[in-house]
Amino acid sequence: MIAGPLGVVALIAAAIAAGAGDDGSPLRHLYLLPALWAALARGAHGGALVGLLAGFLQAPLIFPLIERAGLSRPVVDGLVSLTIPLAMGLTVGRLVDQSRGRGVQLRALLEIQRSLAGETTFGARLAQVAALTRRALGVDRVGLLLDAGDGAPLTASAPDASEPADSPSSGSATPCRRLVLPLDAGQGPVGMLAIERNGDLGAATRGAAQALALHVALAVENARLTERQRRFAQELEDKVARATQRLREIDQAKSEFLSMVSHELRTPLTALQGFSELLLARDVPPDRARRYLHHVQTESQRLGRIVADLLDLSRIESGRGLSLRREPFDLRELVECNVEVFACQHALHRFDLSVAASLPPLSADRDAVDRMLKNLLSNAVKYSPRGGRVLVQARPAADRPGLVELAVEDDGVGIPAEALPRIFEPYVRIAHPETAAAPGLGLGLSLVRALAHAHGGLVEVESLPGKGSRFRVLLPA
Amino acid sequence: MRLLTGPFEIERASRAPSMARPLAAVAATAALGAGAGLAAETGLGAAGGIGHALASASLHAGFLAAGWVVALDGREGWRGPALRGAAALVLAALAARVSLAGALAYLLVPLVLARDAGAWRRSLERIGWRRPHAPRAILLGAAAGTFLGLHLIVAASLTLGYAVSVPDGSRYLAALAYDVGANALTAEWLFRGAIFSALWRRWSFWPAAVVSTACALVRYLLDPALPQAIEAMAGATFYLSLLGLACCALRAWSGSLLPGYFATVAFFAAYRTLLV
Repeated sequence: MIAGPLGVVALIAAAIAAGAGDDGSPLRHLYLLPALWAALARGAHGGALVGLLAGFLQAPLIFPLIERAGLSRPVVDGLVSLTIPLAMGLTVGRLVDQSRGRGVQLRALLEIQRSLAGETTFGARLAQVAALTRRALGVDRVGLLLDAGDGAPLTASAPDASEPADSPSSGSATPCRRLVLPLDAGQGPVGMLAIERNGDLGAATRGAAQALALHVALAVENARLTERQRRFAQELEDKVARATQRLREIDQAKSEFLSMVSHELRTPLTALQGFSELLLARDVPPDRARRYLHHVQTESQRLGRIVADLLDLSRIESGRGLSLRREPFDLRELVECNVEVFACQHALHRFDLSVAASLPPLSADRDAVDRMLKNLLSNAVKYSPRGGRVLVQARPAADRPGLVELAVEDDGVGIPAEALPRIFEPYVRIAHPETAAAPGLGLGLSLVRALAHAHGGLVEVESLPGKGSRFRVLLPA
Repeated sequence: MRLLTGPFEIERASRAPSMARPLAAVAATAALGAGAGLAAETGLGAAGGIGHALASASLHAGFLAAGWVVALDGREGWRGPALRGAAALVLAALAARVSLAGALAYLLVPLVLARDAGAWRRSLERIGWRRPHAPRAILLGAAAGTFLGLHLIVAASLTLGYAVSVPDGSRYLAALAYDVGANALTAEWLFRGAIFSALWRRWSFWPAAVVSTACALVRYLLDPALPQAIEAMAGATFYLSLLGLACCALRAWSGSLLPGYFATVAFFAAYRTLLV
């Protein structure tokens, strides 16, 4: 690209020489054109070279004039026309260089922001930023050091760190200028930018480096914020997914609950309807009628228990709490009575009872304790095989002074460890192939816990799948 | 990258020995030799040429020795090469006085310098004693020197009426040998190699180039061989300034003294054709 302006210079010189080499030839002003051309095409170096050449070509015409006439008007005019191509070439060339440099820096800045917002690792992005900074500033080496916040700082350099620190071919004959700038976007330094160049590090480069350091700091801050935002969004998404899953489970549990409630209510109702119709429609002998009436009573009691459980649960869920009527009563008598009833009803199970002699009288709601015990016994029977053993213990809690322990232990199917945290939640029934047909609403354990808490006590469970479970209700004496 | 990996040694600068004493010793010795030569020139009459040769050789030897001191940062080891260079210069100057063919002895000086510099290659890289990054830099240097020399010839012919003439080829070749072995060699070695390189390590290019070129200009303007007419002095100032700056630019761009050396030799080769 410099050959064109040089050719024009040669043509102008030839034209001036052909015109008898007149020192006042107006053609000399044409030297400005190739100087500007070179400046626009090749920047300051091209403009200065062509301007200098034009000056050299004019000099042999001006110098004799100085010798002959001293500093006369034509001499001054000649000197001005001699220096103008050089001055203009240099000035315009520098402006062109600055403009191009600014353009390169702006493009690099955009690429830096784009690369920092990329999806690769932060170290890889930093290396890319170092390479872009090196290209934008036109320096030999660029190093970036960032405070990673946790542990060792992140570093990146361009060219990469595998190159020798000081290559003997260039480092010694030409002085190496180094500049270190903080990366500070206004909230304290986040790292540093180091640049090296063999040769001069001009004011323009230093200024550009400072501007670039500020922009890199801003881009790094933005990248970090984006990273943080992305992480938060991911965490939020996970939380929403978990909550959605939980809602689905609850919804499914509610559906199952409705289905089960319908089933549980229909069974005693069917019995009530059937026996009452029999009693009304036929002439039933008294002993049979008595038996039918006994069934009606049993089923109505069962229906009453289900409704009572549902009402209690409704009170608990609405936050109204359970009303208790505390009074001292004999826990031994209550336990023995329940065990006897269950033993009669479930003759295939073996019930063992262990009541400590030192058992103190319990001050609690007798009906509530009775329901807790019945629920636990009912579960033990439901989830253990026929012929299984059910152990009921009542004694002062050895590990919790001041509390009375009421424990029900079975050797049934047990509960998987991952299901244990959920078993006291309402509507939850742990699926098991052996006990899938067992009736129930999934309310028993949640009511046991609610009643125990209402007394200021607690419920604990230990279970091994295939080995059995042990529920332990601890109540204040 | 050294900034990120190298240790930060703050006391390194204070460990460098001072160059003031060796430079003062070199200056005093060179001045003594030049003074003795000039005294001999005036006192010996017909044999005064020997005194002139001694004075010229002393000054160039001083330039060489000062270059060694700066190149080695004032460390020990500069005396041997400086003495051998001085001996070669004195020998060449005396030989040139004896006969024109004896001027060819000046060609020994670069060889002596190259031999001594071989032992200090790593240290001398700092002043540009190495091959250029691009071989075309030598051609560019020779072209720049030739262009300036031709421009000088044209301008001097048109302005001052000087003619291009080489009436005595052997005298021209003797002058050329002097330029190759003493004039251009010591100028590049001291002004571009030692002074410019040392200043460029501390300052940016332009201040270093201007100061080193000014030093070289002073050296040439004080040279009694230069015509003392005001026009000749003005012309010398103009061309030697441009030559000095061009040599600094070549040294900075190529990392080597060779392009500037060839530029200087080419310029003086053109200059020697002018019949003043």
